[in-house]
Amino acid sequence: MSMHITGNVATNLYWLGRYLERTAITLREISATYDKVIDIDKQAGVKLYEKFDIELKYTNAYDFLKQAMFGDHNANILHFLTNARENAIICRHILDSEAFGEIIELYALFFTTNKNHLEIDYKLIDHAQSLIGEIWNARSMRDHRELSDSFFRIGKIIEEADYRIRFHEEADKEIIESIYKEVESLYAGLVKDHEKAPQFLKVEGKTQDDRLTALNAIIDKIIIG
Amino acid sequence: MLEKSTKLHDKFWEIFSKQDRSKIEEFKLYMDKFAINFNLYKDGNFIEQSLPFDVIPRIISKEEFSKIEKGLQQRVHALNLFLEDLYTDAKIVKAGIVPQEFVEQASGYLKKFVGFSPSKKIRTHINGIDLVKDSSNDQWVILEDNLRVPSGSSYPLSIRDTYRKIYPDFFEQMKIDPIKNYPKIIANAMNYVSTGGINVVLTPGRYNSAYYEHSYLAEKSGALLVRPHELTVVDKKVYFKSYNGKLLRVGSVYRRLDDEFMDPKFFNPESLIGVPGIVEAYLAGNVALLNAIGNGVADDKGIYYFVPKMIKYYLGEEPILKNAPTYLPYFKEDMDYIFNNMAKLVIKDVAEAGGYGVLFGHEMSAIQIADLKTIIKANPRRFIAQELIEFYDEKCYINKDLKDRKADFRAYVVAADDIKVWNCGLTRYALEEGNYLVNSSQGGGFKDTWVMEL
Repeated sequence: MSMHITGNVATNLYWLGRYLERTAITLREISATYDKVIDIDKQAGVKLYEKFDIELKYTNAYDFLKQAMFGDHNANILHFLTNARENAIICRHILDSEAFGEIIELYALFFTTNKNHLEIDYKLIDHAQSLIGEIWNARSMRDHRELSDSFFRIGKIIEEADYRIRFHEEADKEIIESIYKEVESLYAGLVKDHEKAPQFLKVEGKTQDDRLTALNAIIDKIIIG
Repeated sequence: MLEKSTKLHDKFWEIFSKQDRSKIEEFKLYMDKFAINFNLYKDGNFIEQSLPFDVIPRIISKEEFSKIEKGLQQRVHALNLFLEDLYTDAKIVKAGIVPQEFVEQASGYLKKFVGFSPSKKIRTHINGIDLVKDSSNDQWVILEDNLRVPSGSSYPLSIRDTYRKIYPDFFEQMKIDPIKNYPKIIANAMNYVSTGGINVVLTPGRYNSAYYEHSYLAEKSGALLVRPHELTVVDKKVYFKSYNGKLLRVGSVYRRLDDEFMDPKFFNPESLIGVPGIVEAYLAGNVALLNAIGNGVADDKGIYYFVPKMIKYYLGEEPILKNAPTYLPYFKEDMDYIFNNMAKLVIKDVAEAGGYGVLFGHEMSAIQIADLKTIIKANPRRFIAQELIEFYDEKCYINKDLKDRKADFRAYVVAADDIKVWNCGLTRYALEEGNYLVNSSQGGGFKDTWVMEL
């Protein structure tokens, strides 16, 4: 934990991790659903987006890709990446430069596709997933930015936990437990220099909403002010 | 008009002729990928754009650069002495070399700071001095001193790394000075005047035109990048607010905010940015600000006229680098000269910057000239007039063709235990033929600058 960072930078690193993971997860879901929409279950896309509380309409498999990634709704990939790009620009001075470049490229890929009405197909998803993989790889190659890395990482895994609680809580119980342990470990590192280290509260609650609220409140204990 | 080709230029063109020109596109891709931007507000909209980059570098021989270096060291030394004198004893005013009235009417002169001397008596820490090479006599001429928050150094720094990767032949076959040391020079300047504590680069924020540069220089110099509200002042000491609530003492602030936005408690209570109390900490000697508050008086276009006199007064030397011939309508004989020669002069509004407020007499109609004379008569302190310098063009590779374009050169001069001139700089060129305005805010592009030998 060699670097000092402001609350603003820490927040942006955390959200950068979240938006990138949200993009990766959504693209994975879109890719799997696209396959079903082709000839297995035409309504698979509708069912997927019902989980996001979005009423998605499409005419065929290609149109599903277009509506899923660029449609006028909150799970629009370009919307996630616009936010990720802003987060990255604000904390670029402590990001690995390769990772930063890949984030900008990832955003540009979707921005240009949307702006120029380029053909949308599975290759866009493959390219995007490969860029996201490179971003995480560039992050893991660094050896002297542990603090910024921890915020980036905790954002990523909290997003993953959020997704699994929301959509696969029963099936992924063990995975969710292991994510909690990783969150707790990162948490311990991030609060160890606090004047008064806040205790980690387990992600619990009777309802799914309670558990999600508890999960999403973790960062507020880490970042003060 | 192009400068006479030297052996260095010949060598460059020899290597250039063997290069794959399709790779030039990679520079733009690189700048886009890494968001190397110069942001603008146009019609109320925030626009992120990369600066146009030209692949043909400005080439300066080491011998020629050495003379520029000496001239700039001399000039910045004198300017620093001038500011220190002006805000303490004001001997130069008492000696009648710079008129008191002229100083007091400079918008950058801050009377409230009279009597204060900053850490190590250094005020001009990080400076950008604009020069052009006069084609009539082959001499470098100073056009402007930027002693407040000059920007631009990050662009050649960023592009040089890419240049080396795309076209290594130039660097293998010619002795081009490496330039990576600039952030270290800045870090040294911050450390030298530090009052104890960490170094920070203070940015107005992500929507500032030069945010990329703030971020880049913070990263490379090892300083922390902060926005105004991420600093706090307690007992006249400045602290960095960490994410965990801890406060870290700040010793040096490389601030990229203008004076009037530094401290709402001191300057403008209505201002939403700034660090409340930082000026009080500065005046108590508890923090160093780079550059010093109040420097605006010395880079006032009117005060520029007196810089050669400052060099003689403080250093007892002749200026190594000359000013462009300048006239002040404030003086009667200069006013007469200006009015009789308006059509061949360049008239500048001293309150403007970035290429704004510059009027070329040869482009004005008789009615416009008459109107301008009336305005000048009403407020002679507001203007200066300069002879139009026919400065050299630089070859530029525009739309896959070689074109000649006007280009200036911003040199970066950093004052600490000694005065260092960075062996690179920002060469800015005009995109249109015949245009004399090369400023980035006027749509100008940039080139790398190679200080080199064979």
